[in-house]
Amino acid sequence: MSRSIRRLMTGSQSRQGMWMLPLVLAVIICVFLAVRTEQFANPENLLNLVAQAMPLVITAIGQMFVVVVGGLDLSVGSLISFTTAILALDGPGYVLIPAVFILAALVGATNGFVVTRLNVHPIIATLAMQYIILGITRILRPVSGGTVPDVVIWAVSETFLGVPMPVYWGLFVILVAWKLLHGSRFGLHLFAIGGGIASGVQDAARNFGVADKRTVVLAYVCSSCFAALAGVFLAGRIVSGDPNVGLLFELDAITAVAIGGTQLSGGIGSLQGTVIGAAVLALLSNGMNLTNVSPFIQTAIKGSLLLLVVGLQSRKKMGL
Amino acid sequence: MVNLIEMSNISKSFGGNLAVDRVSLELLPGSVHALMGENGAGKSTLMKILAGVHQPDRGSIRKDGLEIAFASPGEALESGISTVFQELSLLANLTIAENMFLGREPVTRFGTVDYRRMNAETRNALGELGLTLDPETLVSELSIAERQFVEIAHGIKADASIFILDEPTAALNAADVEVLNRHIRRLRDEGKAVVYISHRMDEIFAICDAVTVLKDGKLIGTRPLSEMTPASLIAMMVGRELQDLFPPREKAAGDEILSVENFRIDTASKAFSLHVSKGEIVALAGLEGQGQQKFLRALVGQFQPFGGTVTIKGKGLSLPVGQEGGIRQLQAAGVGFVPEDRKEEGLFLGLPVEHNIAIGLHARARELSVAKGHRNTVADVMASMNVKADGPSAIVGSLSGGNQQKVLLGRYLAADMDILLIEEPTRGVDIGAKSEIYGLLRDFANKGGAVLVLSRETIELIGLCDRIYVIHDNTVVSEMPAASATEHDILDAALSA
Repeated sequence: MSRSIRRLMTGSQSRQGMWMLPLVLAVIICVFLAVRTEQFANPENLLNLVAQAMPLVITAIGQMFVVVVGGLDLSVGSLISFTTAILALDGPGYVLIPAVFILAALVGATNGFVVTRLNVHPIIATLAMQYIILGITRILRPVSGGTVPDVVIWAVSETFLGVPMPVYWGLFVILVAWKLLHGSRFGLHLFAIGGGIASGVQDAARNFGVADKRTVVLAYVCSSCFAALAGVFLAGRIVSGDPNVGLLFELDAITAVAIGGTQLSGGIGSLQGTVIGAAVLALLSNGMNLTNVSPFIQTAIKGSLLLLVVGLQSRKKMGL
Repeated sequence: MVNLIEMSNISKSFGGNLAVDRVSLELLPGSVHALMGENGAGKSTLMKILAGVHQPDRGSIRKDGLEIAFASPGEALESGISTVFQELSLLANLTIAENMFLGREPVTRFGTVDYRRMNAETRNALGELGLTLDPETLVSELSIAERQFVEIAHGIKADASIFILDEPTAALNAADVEVLNRHIRRLRDEGKAVVYISHRMDEIFAICDAVTVLKDGKLIGTRPLSEMTPASLIAMMVGRELQDLFPPREKAAGDEILSVENFRIDTASKAFSLHVSKGEIVALAGLEGQGQQKFLRALVGQFQPFGGTVTIKGKGLSLPVGQEGGIRQLQAAGVGFVPEDRKEEGLFLGLPVEHNIAIGLHARARELSVAKGHRNTVADVMASMNVKADGPSAIVGSLSGGNQQKVLLGRYLAADMDILLIEEPTRGVDIGAKSEIYGLLRDFANKGGAVLVLSRETIELIGLCDRIYVIHDNTVVSEMPAASATEHDILDAALSA
């Protein structure tokens, strides 16, 4: 009994990774905050929490596509800022909104091309891309300003059928990501490629006839497009373009992915884990704000948590 | 009959190394074609070209008379070429069913992967091979033999007309091999072409119709197997006769170093005694499973016999030795044990060569003593044994079978053992490496060591050893000098006892 609980907690013998433990952690934080503070269980705070967490949830989900194939995408933070800057340009929403996704897809395809065809390490390839996009963003909008199309603001702040819009965003993103990751051949191929890389056989999935390079490129495209979606959401919240709004977002996204049980070596992970990982981070910062913990200590706690949770996940061998 | 596949004048080099040099190969429908040669002869490279893993530098491939070229394994699979690769290439984080269907998964109406169908078809496919594994088991949970079977199931269930089996039986026992052979014959009868790579002679002669021999990347020839004998096939592979494989025997044996008295494997078996002297290589021969292995393992404490006494270098030890301390006790006495299954029992496949060799030296040190690198010793052993690896830090799992076996032997040579107990000294090892290993064992004996060896290959025992004990029904039934022994003598001694 205790063994099967441990197995469930640590996600061993599963491809989903260790997502139960962070779930328990999230529940504990929720219960603690509900008991200790009056504001936490307040519907307004909860809604605010969802809206606050949403960009991270979306970015982390995108990041996960790349992490599963053994890569990393450091360019998403800049891409979020870039997206808000584009949306704050003069122009109608029906031009700007499609434009940000097309540009994001191009960025992702470039990342994927550099990684798969030029054999550049993902960290270097996407770090370079991060700088490039950051530079372009600062040229477009050196300081924050401008206004984004009304439709974007509406889509983030209004309610529909009595339910606030961020809830729809969350459902939509999870649905799309679930379909891609766990409900399609593409998703299975991502895990297959990552599994091969994690066990040191680069071409393992390729030998089965999986179009590995194309799949990896698509993973980077997914990461970029989800980041652009997060950028649209953020632009709706801040109503303007801001070259710094996405700063260090990529690191929070990776943190969320890792806390959620996805193995950075590739091949192991789950969507629910990533959502839970992002939720843990959001709850932590919301809770510590409510209990007046200094922001500096918050950062240190975040780091300790990452170390602790990932330390618990270490596996003897792949898939065990 | 029309050739299904015609590979002509294929060449492929890696770096400056010509791996395949103008080799031609024709595959007929309804035939099993053996591809033989020493490790590194180019068999795997040639097959990887056919499977689309590598692209040839020169030459052409025709299928049903039409010229084809594959950019990827996926394209080869689509044209009906299915491969069971030599290295275990299954993905550990996927289930059996996912591995079976990877790259050609069925989808439902909603575009999701059709797990129900995949699991059902996988269960059937495994059932046909006599396996009752749950298709939803992750491959990481399977044993090596189970993985090998899943790999075979994956390969032979594909909707293909050409099947490449690259050493599919390395991890299988005789019964499993028979199951596989049945399926290969079925494929042949269905008019498919099968390419079969194996080092096991008996398998080749049991199921293959024709054989193509490669050596150093070049084609030596293609012959119908009905015209061949094991001896002529070996001669074709090594370019020399069998006798040349074995090093010359030394004349005189020295003092007795190991003697076993009144040894009884179990209560029902007859007691026997035997002895080994310095400078001697002694064989335990006989039919399979007659107690040879139990005897050997009793000497290292891995099997608990009924009783007996062992005298090693004058020091007596009564059997059975303790299960826990037995191996250390014998190791301290200078006895090294080389188990039959080097991958499972002998080597640390994921560790580099240097650690695999040095561990023999560490084993004798105290737990808290500094673990020295033993770099010089390791380098000496690798050089003297001619281990082909990218330096001492190469991972053992990446070496060929022959080099792995040398590393395993090297561990005990480095540790300066006086007596080696060896099971199957050349299992899964190509002819060239076999010859080298025989030479190494003979050198070891010439320097005053003693070797006790058992093997399924009687020819090997006759060629390598000085003396042969024939074991039958858990006891020694005959003793003979190896120089004048024949396979017939040994069989006769075993069966007439």
